[in-house]
Amino acid sequence: MRKAIAALVFLLAAFAAHSAPVKGRGAPNAPIVLEVYSDYECPHCKLLYEKTLVPLMAEYVDKGKVYLIHHEFPITQIHPHAMEAACYACAAHHVGKYEQACEILFRDQAIWSASGKVDETVCSILSPADAKKVRTLAKDPAIAAEVQQDMQEGHSVKVETTPTLFLTYRLKQYPIPGAVSYDILRRFIDHLLAN
Amino acid sequence: MRWLRLSLRLFLAAVFLYAAYTKLRQPWLLFAMSIDAYQLLPAWAVLTLGRTIPWLELLLGLLLAAGIGLRYAAAGAAILLGAFFSVMLQAYIKGMGIDCGCFGLGEKISPLTLTRDGLFLAMSIALMCLARMHRFRPAISQ
Repeated sequence: MRKAIAALVFLLAAFAAHSAPVKGRGAPNAPIVLEVYSDYECPHCKLLYEKTLVPLMAEYVDKGKVYLIHHEFPITQIHPHAMEAACYACAAHHVGKYEQACEILFRDQAIWSASGKVDETVCSILSPADAKKVRTLAKDPAIAAEVQQDMQEGHSVKVETTPTLFLTYRLKQYPIPGAVSYDILRRFIDHLLAN
Repeated sequence: MRWLRLSLRLFLAAVFLYAAYTKLRQPWLLFAMSIDAYQLLPAWAVLTLGRTIPWLELLLGLLLAAGIGLRYAAAGAAILLGAFFSVMLQAYIKGMGIDCGCFGLGEKISPLTLTRDGLFLAMSIALMCLARMHRFRPAISQ
């Protein structure tokens, strides 16, 4: 009974915290929830995404073991195009193309962060109709508010740098430091699931 | 001198015992992830250090607290703290923004953590020198 009440409180808290659209992947009822705060212009976030999150999505997220939640956390003081990239990613989420936007933003990070061509980068992988929608949405103040809300959530859980990860298993939250490698994270997830 | 040596020994013992406690009370793989975040070592080395460093810290803390083999314990503490300080410094210079992993999770590398660990390192070196001086004192007085 106590477990059921605790689970209900946790779900309500999670629902309240995520009033903005959740950029989640996988089964929301997966035993492990992994929340990632990242910045598209941050090189360590690119490393985390490409070397850790991509294999994690294939092996754990898509198999229903982990529910992955992305949070935008652009560090605008040092990354001038990070906010725009986050807005485009959120806009892409509204047309169901978040993963694709995320992938291209990290893949071509060196190019757009030097040129500032975020729009061209994201829209290059979208159909003309989707690109038009994303362009309009990315400039919508509601999308900027979504990014700000992600950032506020990050500040409320003491996120200071990117990437920052939080892994939740059986109501216990573990902060995961920096760009952890897939091999080590996989072992930790296996250890938790084995228990 | 005796009081300084005793103070340094007990202070460093407390530091090492607390560091070991914060690591041993959580799954050891979390500390391995802290080491891995520095991106310096292959997975096998990360896993080995993740398992052994907390126990080494516990051993050093106990030796320092008991005053057994002080010269070696102080030298071991200085080597360990020197290694921690150098990897933290390079991570900070690279702007990695990772946890230091010193006392559990959730403490980012910052000028504050570097100053603190630098002070611990200086203390351990001072203790090592004092322990050596103490050893040679009877020979000098003869």
